[in-house]
Amino acid sequence: MSAGKDAIVITNVVKSFKKRARSAEYTTFKSELVRLLTFKRRLIEPSTHIEALKGIDLRIPRGSTVGIVGRNGSGKSTLLKLLTGIYAPTSGTIDVHGRISALLELGAGFHPDFTGRENILINGIILGMARNDVKARMPEIIEFAELGDFIDEPVRTYSSGMFMRLAFAVATHVDPEVLIIDEILSVGDEHFARKSQAKMNEFRRAGKTIVLVTHDLGTVQSWCDTAAWIDGGRIRMHGRSEDVVKEYRRAVAAAEAEGEKTGHSALSQPGLALPATSPVVEEQPPVATVTAVRLKDGSGATPAEFLPAAPLHVEVDWTLREKAKTRFSLDLMSSDGRLVFSTSWDGGELSGSGTAKLQLARLGLGGGVYELLVSASGGDEPNKNPFRLALHVAPTEGVGLVRPELRWSL
Amino acid sequence: MIRNLSELYQYRALLLALSVRELKARYRASVLGFLWTFLNPTLNMLVYVLVFGVVMKSAVKNYPYYLFSGLLPWIYFSTSVGGGTSAISDRRDLLTKVRFPAQVLPATVVLTNLINFLLSLPLLLGLGFFFGVTPTWHLVFIVPLLIVQTFFTLAVTYLFAALNVAFRDLQHIVTNLLMMLFFLTPVLWDINSVPAMGSLTKEETQQLLLNFNPLASIMVGWRDIFVEQTAPHWQPLGTVAVISLILMWISTSVFESRREEFAELI
Repeated sequence: MSAGKDAIVITNVVKSFKKRARSAEYTTFKSELVRLLTFKRRLIEPSTHIEALKGIDLRIPRGSTVGIVGRNGSGKSTLLKLLTGIYAPTSGTIDVHGRISALLELGAGFHPDFTGRENILINGIILGMARNDVKARMPEIIEFAELGDFIDEPVRTYSSGMFMRLAFAVATHVDPEVLIIDEILSVGDEHFARKSQAKMNEFRRAGKTIVLVTHDLGTVQSWCDTAAWIDGGRIRMHGRSEDVVKEYRRAVAAAEAEGEKTGHSALSQPGLALPATSPVVEEQPPVATVTAVRLKDGSGATPAEFLPAAPLHVEVDWTLREKAKTRFSLDLMSSDGRLVFSTSWDGGELSGSGTAKLQLARLGLGGGVYELLVSASGGDEPNKNPFRLALHVAPTEGVGLVRPELRWSL
Repeated sequence: MIRNLSELYQYRALLLALSVRELKARYRASVLGFLWTFLNPTLNMLVYVLVFGVVMKSAVKNYPYYLFSGLLPWIYFSTSVGGGTSAISDRRDLLTKVRFPAQVLPATVVLTNLINFLLSLPLLLGLGFFFGVTPTWHLVFIVPLLIVQTFFTLAVTYLFAALNVAFRDLQHIVTNLLMMLFFLTPVLWDINSVPAMGSLTKEETQQLLLNFNPLASIMVGWRDIFVEQTAPHWQPLGTVAVISLILMWISTSVFESRREEFAELI
């Protein structure tokens, strides 16, 4: 790999489309005939150009998850199509390092008369897998899609949910290094949506680079490391996802307010850049930071997997830039990104560095992988940059997120 | 040209998979299924035999066999070009969603029809037996002749497929051009039966037809193998090979210069 730690490097990319104002739409057979007979030349209208992207610079580090936000028509999809190589940039360069898989539209090239199995094969090859690879992964894909006996039925007999599940299963089993997703995480029912979320988390943990385009700002905030906001064909902001989402929301709100006042705003015209927002206060480096977190069971050891019934001790190493009232908080998330519980505690006036401890008398979680987000804040600063680490809980009889102390009897 | 063709080779798995699917899909819902591969050209041949063999009484010996030996390669060429012209413009679903070397699509059409042609060759040999024509070792010349024809077909298909994206009238023009070309190519008639025209002698007229139509030379080649049972003359076929090479160079250049706009225009 040549370019070190960047998976995608976009340099000054401009993409413009020819807009062909066709008079043909308004011509009739008669007028055309008259024009031919009188040897009049068709009025050639000057072809106008639409600049969908007006100079994009973006570096996406390897292994990071990047959300791309922006209103309809701002150029998000064009950017994705450029990334995947479907479009070629008008000027500028795009370097992508590693195998790229794009979930732009699911089921590209599915043939309705063929069975699920046959379509997996062809779709896998279209997505760039070798024939043998597809065959080797076939059982895995079929299992993931949860189609049962329908896998040997023609795809045209599928319900739309089954179709999407199959397509999603193939696309995510291509084993890409760079994954590009356009608004498709909510495939299928509740259960499958969770399953695909888990699959995405697996990609993240495996260190794959993910580019996600979505209008679901919550997903961007909770799920992406950084976010890029495209507005009117330019990158308006690129940074931590919380900041970008906040700023984007502010701009939309400002545009809406303007629309209420004046009756028209940037929102009424697709693709138009949103108005500028008033500058926010210069960002301060955080007062409090969590430098390390250790997980221990009651005996002081750190097992690979914690038992549901065992106690959990969390040790949080913190440092403070200055003397401040410090508040510690901890969020426990399930592998599909849902909050299991959160807790916070006032540590009082603190300075320098030290270790805070949180003790759970009994872990009480069902088997699986969880994520801990531990943070500290000094003064009135908001919680920022949580320290993340995984918590593995040994499986038990029964499933679910929680495992209360229980006893069966007759 | 080299890049275009090596890319095609690189994606051969895809090309093959798409072709196999195309073949399977063609007759999937039909009752007779794959039999249509043989039935279509046979019925086609019977119609022509009825008109030109029975009603108009062609002087050619074993006319059905003679006709069939030209009709099969012609069908290979015409269905490839006819279907290949819209191969790119019809596959919006693939080209705008997945990164995809566009030349695979017209090549798939050509490969599908090539396989169809090969599958119907036994039918031709069977018809030969019926008329008492036993195949000779000259059948080995099928290979070079087929390579030349495939290369020529692919070049024409590339060109039309690329141009049809921006200029959709082409697919209708091609349908009509193929019809004209069918009658200008010695499929139904024998090249030696062409009379003298105007100030030209008989030989000059025939030569003129061959010069203007690379397919005529190819068709004469097929007749040499199957009917005359001799080796085809290498000069005219060599000329066609050179023409195909030049045409392929032009086609791939056009194709490459236009491929960036495919996804935007379809």
